[in-house]
Amino acid sequence: MIDDDFRRPDWKGWLLNRFVLVPLTLVVIALGWNAFVMTHNHGIVAGRVLDASGAPVEGADVQLWVFNFATFSVKASTTTKPDGTFQFDNNPSHNIQVSAEKPGVGRSARISVRLYFQSEDFYLKEPLRLTNGA
Amino acid sequence: MKRYPRWPIHLALLAVSFVMLVPFYWVLKTSVSGENIFSYPPSIIPQNPIPYYYVDVWYAIPFARFFFNSVVVSAMTVVANVVLNAMAGYALTRHFHGKTLVMMLFLSCMMIPFQATIIPAYLITAKLNLLDTYLGLALPMFSTIICIFVFKASFDAVPRSLIDAAKIDGLSEWKIIWKVMMPLAKSAMATNVILSFIWSWNNFMWPLISTRSPTMQTLPLGLARFLSYQEDTTGALYAFCIMVLAPGLLLFLLAQKEFVQGLTSGATKG
Amino acid sequence: MTVAISEPAVTRRAGFMGRKSTRQAVLIWAFLAPSLLIFLLYRILPLGWNVLLSFEAWSPMKPAVFVGWDNYEEMLFDDPVFWQALWNTLFIIGSAPIGIVIALGLALLVNADIKGRDTYRTIIFLSYPLMTVAVAIIWRWMFDERVGLINYIARVWHLVETPIPFLNSFTWALPSVIAANIWQMLGFYMIIILTGLQNIPGTLYEAAEIDGAKPIHRFFRITLPLLRPSIFLCFVIGMLNSVTSFDLVYVMTGGGPGRATEILVTYIYKLGFTQTRFDYAAAVTVVFFILLLVVTWTANRLSGGDAGAVERG
Repeated sequence: MIDDDFRRPDWKGWLLNRFVLVPLTLVVIALGWNAFVMTHNHGIVAGRVLDASGAPVEGADVQLWVFNFATFSVKASTTTKPDGTFQFDNNPSHNIQVSAEKPGVGRSARISVRLYFQSEDFYLKEPLRLTNGA
Repeated sequence: MKRYPRWPIHLALLAVSFVMLVPFYWVLKTSVSGENIFSYPPSIIPQNPIPYYYVDVWYAIPFARFFFNSVVVSAMTVVANVVLNAMAGYALTRHFHGKTLVMMLFLSCMMIPFQATIIPAYLITAKLNLLDTYLGLALPMFSTIICIFVFKASFDAVPRSLIDAAKIDGLSEWKIIWKVMMPLAKSAMATNVILSFIWSWNNFMWPLISTRSPTMQTLPLGLARFLSYQEDTTGALYAFCIMVLAPGLLLFLLAQKEFVQGLTSGATKG
Repeated sequence: MTVAISEPAVTRRAGFMGRKSTRQAVLIWAFLAPSLLIFLLYRILPLGWNVLLSFEAWSPMKPAVFVGWDNYEEMLFDDPVFWQALWNTLFIIGSAPIGIVIALGLALLVNADIKGRDTYRTIIFLSYPLMTVAVAIIWRWMFDERVGLINYIARVWHLVETPIPFLNSFTWALPSVIAANIWQMLGFYMIIILTGLQNIPGTLYEAAEIDGAKPIHRFFRITLPLLRPSIFLCFVIGMLNSVTSFDLVYVMTGGGPGRATEILVTYIYKLGFTQTRFDYAAAVTVVFFILLLVVTWTANRLSGGDAGAVERG
């Protein structure tokens, strides 16, 4: 033990000491994660709405539900553009649901979206499909 | 020793290891399981594993705040412990009037468990106006007898010739302590740091008694409170458990040797 | 002796022997002072204050009134909860040997000459540094009536037909808490016994083997007696730990069902901080402390009297 102390006085020895290396790695990871979060937390939730045959639906009502204590409640709504896409800009939560509806075309199921951090920018992979004329 | 078959020993130890590790696995499995955790039969492998309960926990309770509180209190405790215990340990290596009395005092304090002092400790802390403060949380744990004796043993092990040589060279008392004894007590310091950190980090009863406001609570308190908040069907509570256990486990795996060494040497010294 | 060797060299420089030794004494006491202060403030003083409080009737608003043995009378004659808590505490103390015996077996196994013994040792010790609150939550889940692992295994192996409500039954609640405690402490006991085992000189075994002693004899005549100090230490620490396992009881059962898992420590807490009866709680604390002393002293006597002796100087 005493020999160890006398043999490694240089900075390399210090760095490789597990008590320094592990916390240092953790700090680096934490900083990296924080940087990632800060550049990706605009609260964007975007996706597409298709009807039962797969064609994009324009002007469908899309609603954003946010989890509040015990239930979900509608926080924002928007309408789809001509190509069927929609985008919310200020999602504040990490646990949300999205649903779409167009009278005459149908309504979609409420899709649950879980995020890794609040206001994570998220692009829905699966489009919302409207079924059964409402 | 005589030759005997090894495999029964391995079998027995494997069985025991299994019993020791299964609770960890079971809680880990529950914390990532994506289904209702109260469905029977419970699944051995998590169905639909999702990591989102960890996110839930992070936002549902002020995890960062609790973590910060725990870190601050533990840091204060560790620093104070090392300083106070090293000083006391050094003092006990010298001969002086009343040394026996002091030793008896210390040893008898070992027999007084913290739980036998909670009521007056609370009253004293209240009188000092330290309730609900970091100092009040950390103060009772600023010094521990086991660690004093660990330091004492470490200082006792310094060869007398080294000290004599230093004295002949004209070093003052302080310089002797700083330049000769402390470097040789590195392992005692490491042990002290580890032990006092773990005890402070895991401490539940004292923070329960001495804090009032939710912003001053430490991690164990937050965990116990969470138990009553969210009795729902998700693994969020168990995700919280894992998050809370991770630092302790990590520290233990990093510093096993010091940990074990400190416990055995401190314990066997009475 | 060594002091005499170095003193002359130093006094030549300092001049007056008196001044130097006073300076040293001041230094030593200055070094001791902070730790002494902490212990005085948070161990000795509270103990005395407890004794004082137990003989008074005191509520934070009103001044204290000396009432003699009233609190103790109430405790011993009018308080069934106290007796239940006392019984539970004694039960826990009585079950400490179970953990020690298991740990003894484990230590013997781990001490054998096998590959990977360090890994086994780490795995078994893993449970000790964990936060007891988390351990309590884990075991609460394991003992859960509907989906706990224990019940699941019991049903899969057809040991029982209906699940056992471990933490809700009067007979199983306390043993469940004790089981969780043993799980956590096993590694700690094992480490202490292991250290004791490794301190037994191998030559003793060799000599016994040469004399024709069978392994069983070697165990009972050499190992066990020389392990007495370690076992005593395990018992004292284990008893202290389990009897003060506030965290486990509070989180696993809260003292319930009814008062089935109420131990003296949780009762003291409830008296002091839920009912704000500081004076009565102090009386119960005094009894609790006396119990600890009695048990430790008995264990000391039973294990040979010299175990855990104070290292003077």
